[in-house]
Amino acid sequence: MSIETANAEPSTAAVAKGRTRNVLIVGVGGQGVIMISKVLALLCQTQGLQVKQSEVHGMAKRGGVVFSHVRYGEEVWSPTIPMGEADVLIAMEWAEGVRWLPFLRPDTGVFIADTQQVIPPFACRNRDFYANPAYATETPAEIIDMVSDGFALDAGRMAEELGNARAANTILLGTMSAAMDFPLEEWLSVLNQFVPKGTEEINRQAFLLGREWVEKTRLEPKEATTVRALEQQPVQPKINVRLEITREWCKSCDICVKLCPERCLDLDEQQIVRLKDPAACTGCRICEWLCPDFAIAVHHENSTATEVSA
Amino acid sequence: MNEMKTKAGGGNFEVRDYLRLDLMPHFMCPGCGHGIALRALLWAVHELGIDKDNLAIVSGIGCSGRVGAYIDANTYHVTHGRPLAFATGLKLARPDLKVIVITGDGDCLAIGGNHLIHACRRNLDITCLMLNNEVYGMTGGQVSPTTAENRLTTTTPSGNSEPAFDACKLAEAAGAGLVGREVTMQTPALRNLIKAGLEFDGFSFLEVMSDCTEIYGRKNDLGESAEMIMAQKSDMRPQAYTTITDQPFRPNRLVTGVLAQSDRPEYGATYRRQAAALRGETA
Repeated sequence: MSIETANAEPSTAAVAKGRTRNVLIVGVGGQGVIMISKVLALLCQTQGLQVKQSEVHGMAKRGGVVFSHVRYGEEVWSPTIPMGEADVLIAMEWAEGVRWLPFLRPDTGVFIADTQQVIPPFACRNRDFYANPAYATETPAEIIDMVSDGFALDAGRMAEELGNARAANTILLGTMSAAMDFPLEEWLSVLNQFVPKGTEEINRQAFLLGREWVEKTRLEPKEATTVRALEQQPVQPKINVRLEITREWCKSCDICVKLCPERCLDLDEQQIVRLKDPAACTGCRICEWLCPDFAIAVHHENSTATEVSA
Repeated sequence: MNEMKTKAGGGNFEVRDYLRLDLMPHFMCPGCGHGIALRALLWAVHELGIDKDNLAIVSGIGCSGRVGAYIDANTYHVTHGRPLAFATGLKLARPDLKVIVITGDGDCLAIGGNHLIHACRRNLDITCLMLNNEVYGMTGGQVSPTTAENRLTTTTPSGNSEPAFDACKLAEAAGAGLVGREVTMQTPALRNLIKAGLEFDGFSFLEVMSDCTEIYGRKNDLGESAEMIMAQKSDMRPQAYTTITDQPFRPNRLVTGVLAQSDRPEYGATYRRQAAALRGETA
């Protein structure tokens, strides 16, 4: 099932006679996980194979997890893939791909991942300005070393350059198609039935682009084609927050104390606002905006400026 | 935070640059929403880069009338209910000025109700900021046209029996070019609404839901300022959402955002064209 051998032995019979093949497609809402799993399922059906597909997409509209199990073969019994038995794992989103890795067959599994990141709000627990989110820190190179056969490509940007960022799923489908031995024409005709009207041409180009990418990767070292590395995240400046409280203007109305999201303000003995917990303050400015008496001013100073003044 | 770094006015917004510091702290009660509205107004002025010398604030009588006095610009504190009438004259005489009217619910809808509908009808380029705290606060908490039904005030000790005004519907029906409403809790949204009003060529009527904690909130057991402004926020419904799904389920919500906008001709331009024609000039 590895990509290197797939085109060398183009025989559908080999697949048909063998055991059931498992393809796991994962991503987040709106990326087209279900669409490409349908393409794959119908294609296998047209090839005379039995297909079972099952999916979870409940929270998809909120950027939640979507996954789709596609199993095909001469006779398929169960619709879901057991852990460690996926022959191909296709990830539309980098962290999802890393998360589903235990499902991949350790010895022969093929891992195809888009390196684009969709960072969920839950990953942003640190509410400081420009704080790094708690997101998968594994780099594509690390993961590709771990799996038997891995491909990480920046399908999101490739699709964007093609003219439609939403065609990223078709690029990954094209990449996957190189690992299977169905004829190209069949792929394209089935794909045409599922893409939205008016996007047939761009999806065809995206599919071919993904397929070509694999060809190129086979000739060149993998590192050269792994487009967007995770460590290339822009370094954000560290912001120091300083609260300036005008004691004479404060009227102890308590709005800032009650509405501070970090609960870092309180009133002192004279019922004047003070910063109780400077470490918790994120400088969100809500106290500044909601103070009717202009008693609080929030200043953002980057660290270099403070060093100069100190 | 990016929008706070790049702006027309240049530099970060510092509210002190726009206040008469010798008059501070202001006379409003603790927790009065008028201060928040004042900050939003000054923030909008700063972001649009309006020069203080070209800014004229006209305010009437009442707590809201005093808000204008703290702004370091050309301010005009006029008779009760008449800020729109004064502003109309000012704008016609000095079309180069940016004229902002700060008025209250009683000032604008009761004493100056007639001026409001005619100002809306003319559609002169004025921004009218109505700070609605649902009560006559300065005079001791009498019932106002926007007091909600069954609320206690000093003149309705057993509950207000009159229905309240929907000032935005009134302004829209009278022909105001732009009508909007926002709550003080949403300060950046309020700033954006005021910016839209200031940029609009025509009469813009903006209702700001303020809170009167000391007189109205206490009498009606509405909690302290934080609870009152949070209650407004949970009551509000952005205009964009009302048309999508949940209108049948939440019909009585406080709809916020730009509620109506029309492209009726601005009165000042029409007036000047007519005046030029009478003088025999060609426009």
